[in-house]
Amino acid sequence: MDPIFVVLIVVVVLIVVPLLWYIGVMNSLRQMEVKINEAESGIDVALTKRFDVLTKIVNTVKGYAKHEAETFENVTKWRAGLPKTLSLQEKQEFMGKMDAVQSGINIAVEAYPDLKAEKLFSNLQASISDVEEHLQAARRLYNSNVSRINTVIVTFPRSIVAGMIHMEKKEFFEAETTKREDVEISF
Amino acid sequence: MNSELIRFQQEKKNIEKQVIIGSGLSLLSVILFVALINYGPWGLILLVPGVIYMALGASKFKKLSNKFKHEVLAEVITKFVDEGVFEPSRGLSLNTVYATEFLKRADRYHVEDYLAGKIDGVDFISSDVKLEERHVEHTKNGTRTYYVSYFLGRIFEFEFNKTFDGYLQVLEGARPHSKRKYKKVKLESIDFNKKFKTYTTNEHSAFYVLTPHLMESLMDFEKNNKGKIYFSFIDTKLYLGINNFKDTFELKMFRELNESSFEEFKRELYVIKDVVTELKLNNNIFKKE
Repeated sequence: MDPIFVVLIVVVVLIVVPLLWYIGVMNSLRQMEVKINEAESGIDVALTKRFDVLTKIVNTVKGYAKHEAETFENVTKWRAGLPKTLSLQEKQEFMGKMDAVQSGINIAVEAYPDLKAEKLFSNLQASISDVEEHLQAARRLYNSNVSRINTVIVTFPRSIVAGMIHMEKKEFFEAETTKREDVEISF
Repeated sequence: MNSELIRFQQEKKNIEKQVIIGSGLSLLSVILFVALINYGPWGLILLVPGVIYMALGASKFKKLSNKFKHEVLAEVITKFVDEGVFEPSRGLSLNTVYATEFLKRADRYHVEDYLAGKIDGVDFISSDVKLEERHVEHTKNGTRTYYVSYFLGRIFEFEFNKTFDGYLQVLEGARPHSKRKYKKVKLESIDFNKKFKTYTTNEHSAFYVLTPHLMESLMDFEKNNKGKIYFSFIDTKLYLGINNFKDTFELKMFRELNESSFEEFKRELYVIKDVVTELKLNNNIFKKE
């Protein structure tokens, strides 16, 4: 065999193939990252929707669940909508606070069957449960994407590429972190 | 019900006897033909009456099966299903069959045993569906055309009023047959992903519709039903396909018709109830306002 040809094969095997593999893994990691960002914006949309519906509920039950209404009133910094710069941790906290307010309202309105029977209130309750389902879906989609990218990041040899492009393991969006906390949270 | 079953069993037995006699005559004829091969085709003299007698028996059996559906099963169905309609001679329209988006276009089809009504306030329609694909084989003796079934089972269409963007299919060993841009999506349950392939046009909707509870229910449903299971969520409908290569609601030849075999017919109805309750289609949020 021609020595030049042999050298060419060695070059291809040692340089071109690993280079193509590197590019392939890097691209797939970047694509996964984009999907995570998309999923995170899905969480933002769902959180904002939930905030809007919860605001309506709070306005409806003001007279019945004063404490919860006051607690919710304190969430002034979110009134203009969810800030774009919010970290995942802050979003989780935000969700936890809404969980707390909502569970407080649910407990408070138990004592008022008239309110529960009201069409407007029952419609709002149906809306909030649908919004919550959307939020859960967004959270699960986000976590599923995170799980996929984290698997790649920690699995050899693709972990080498992840290290070279400084890609670190992503944080999961936990559902239940603050749900069970006391209703009285200072905002 | 008991006396009616006995009556049908007796009638069925008589027909089965006729089929046995017809088959016996045909077989005897073939044996005689082989034994008397040197005397020409005389051995085959019994073949024609044998085959005719057997065919008449088979035709009578088909009629008896239809009579059984009209007289016995229709009554059971109307008791089990609200506003129940059972029409053995018709089935779902081809438009409905293809609206499922999990079945490819057939070269030949047959539908029967249309069943519709309400269970727990949920509207449904269903029927037996047989879809076949034409195969052409070129041999040295010419061209041979034959048909191969790729779907034989039941198709159901349920009302599903949980509104969401996009379209969703959950299929066991199949892929969508649609022009829509379905993408495969993996959910968080490894077992679910192993059993079903999920295709959707909107990932968020897949996670929205397929809650952990619904995934669990689909897995249970699959466990309790033989054959391949296909679900598709299209607009306000949930389509279910059970490809078990079984012709439902048919009397079986040479199988005694008694209370226990009759229970099997009822079990086919429990499948519908299962879908409604397990998938919580009777939940108010899935019903029309």
